[in-house]
Amino acid sequence: MLVTRETSTHRLVAAIILITATAAAAASETIDVSVVAPDGSPVPNVAVFIDNYDADLGLASVGVQAVMDQRNRRFAPHVLVVQTGTAVEFPNSDDIAHHVYSFSKPNNFVLPLYKGIAHDPVLFEHPGIVTIGCNIHDEMLGYIVVVDTAIHAVTDENGNARLTLAVADGNYFVNIWSPRIRDAHENLVKRITDPAEAADGLTFALQKRLRPSHQASWDSVQWNEY
Amino acid sequence: MERVLRAALLLACTAVPAAAVADSNGLTVGAALGFVDTSGHVSWTDGFVGKLRHSDDGATLVRGFIDWRSRLTDTLDAHVVLDAYDDDIGNAIDVTEAYLEWRPVPRSPRRYRLKVGAFYPRISLENVAAGWSSPYTLSYSAINTWIAEELRAIGAELTMSWRPESLGGSHGFAVSLAAFGGNDPAGSLLAWKGWSVHDRQTRLGDKLPLPPLPQLGPGGLFERQHPYVGPIREIDGRGGYYVNGDWRIGQRLLLRATRYDNRANPEAIAGGQYAWRTEFDHFGIQMTLPGDVGLIAQSMTGATVMGGIVDNAHVVDTEFDSRFVLVTRSFARHRLTLRYDHFELTQNDRTPEDNNPDFGHAWTVNYSVGLSDRASIAAEWLAIDTDHCGWVYYGIGPTATERQMQLLVKLRF
Repeated sequence: MLVTRETSTHRLVAAIILITATAAAAASETIDVSVVAPDGSPVPNVAVFIDNYDADLGLASVGVQAVMDQRNRRFAPHVLVVQTGTAVEFPNSDDIAHHVYSFSKPNNFVLPLYKGIAHDPVLFEHPGIVTIGCNIHDEMLGYIVVVDTAIHAVTDENGNARLTLAVADGNYFVNIWSPRIRDAHENLVKRITDPAEAADGLTFALQKRLRPSHQASWDSVQWNEY
Repeated sequence: MERVLRAALLLACTAVPAAAVADSNGLTVGAALGFVDTSGHVSWTDGFVGKLRHSDDGATLVRGFIDWRSRLTDTLDAHVVLDAYDDDIGNAIDVTEAYLEWRPVPRSPRRYRLKVGAFYPRISLENVAAGWSSPYTLSYSAINTWIAEELRAIGAELTMSWRPESLGGSHGFAVSLAAFGGNDPAGSLLAWKGWSVHDRQTRLGDKLPLPPLPQLGPGGLFERQHPYVGPIREIDGRGGYYVNGDWRIGQRLLLRATRYDNRANPEAIAGGQYAWRTEFDHFGIQMTLPGDVGLIAQSMTGATVMGGIVDNAHVVDTEFDSRFVLVTRSFARHRLTLRYDHFELTQNDRTPEDNNPDFGHAWTVNYSVGLSDRASIAAEWLAIDTDHCGWVYYGIGPTATERQMQLLVKLRF
């Protein structure tokens, strides 16, 4: 491609200005993460989070709130990621009562039979996977992923999630988790030592077939009371 | 006049104010009424041999029920189902199921459920709606019709279920173990009448008419048997059991296997009722096929015996076998269901004066439209072809085709 000398000079100047400006703002960075099944299909509802971030993030989570709703006899969202210290509210938007519980120690809790907003939010102080259920409707199943970082997201319908880092450098790990994933742990973690590695996005290409989705829903037969 | 009174009672049921709609929690009052057109023999419910419930054509209240589930505490429910039928069997209204269910809050991935009272064994994959009705068809499959006619456990059922985290939560397993009393005469109606296809659920106090077989009459081989059977009674003081296992994968697949044995003493008789040793194995599958087509299939193979041993066999030694396949698809408020039933009943005894083998199959087609949360209409066509050589006792041919067309409104409050 033929480029005039004048144009390329302009470009060089523009690039220098941009780099300087970015450095001056101490650079926030976004990392686009996508999760792909072995058959090429996107994987939604995957928790994505960063850990072992060696820079000082200064992102305390005191007072942070999140919501795990109950609609049409399901937990919504199916997978919720929160930072330790987050208080999660469990409103019941159904017109029938639910009895929400988790046996996942040490984050176990019980919210006796209720509709609407009847209970105080539940504070999650320990990292780990919290499996939640309803003692009335056995088929209801949800997960709260409690992580030690404020940098987390959940993949959307297209298997994509975006993480926003306050500082565009450092040495950290990007992790994914879903109850459907069967891959070995090393395939679920990517170590980033240079921001350039993540600049074009990160793709987790899973190697093992996914477990069936609990969320998949069909109308033709009744599965609620079995 | 009595029928008119019952009809009025049923209508009164449907006028009870509602506490909740279509949920396992609260009060559901249901009614099914409309037009029935049948052809074939006079129904077994009227004391003859017809496999259908209705002998007469015309407008009728097919069923009225009250399904009441009360949360006594956060983890303890009381569940009572009352049924009313427009026929001459038993009381106008009676109890079909009544039990307490305790669901302790799980402390581990294992969940426990304990039922105590009178309840259906955990077998049917069709009868999953309020009042043990089927969301798919009006008449139940031959297997579940027989369960409705003669099976009820009075005792306790403990279910343990778990979802292994290592399998990602979509796999669920459940194992149930039940010990029960009563249900000793279960098998009488099946052995003497044969299989049926209908939706009449026996209430705890019902006395079901047996077919007017000469061997049940005065001077007959079984003259000590009353002309009716109360299938839920205790006769011999021996308890029975069933074991059930479920494996479920999300909303894709459910496999179920059941072993039932009422452990009755086949030589016991009390109050005009024989005890029948009835045992069977059951397998069921529920699947979602591509295109969101639902498939349910169940099969049951077993035997029921009664009386002392004559020539190495009990006086009545009957083997039974049935299976059905149901496919269903819902299109928004519409649902179309097709079911094929096959049934067999053979006798291995050495008692030629009592011979009631029963072979046949049935086709059922149902089309339903939900008008609202509280009302739906359903049109159902049903045909049963039967080969039953014992019908010669009544001077009627050994084969029959019975047909039924129902056009019903189903109401739930």
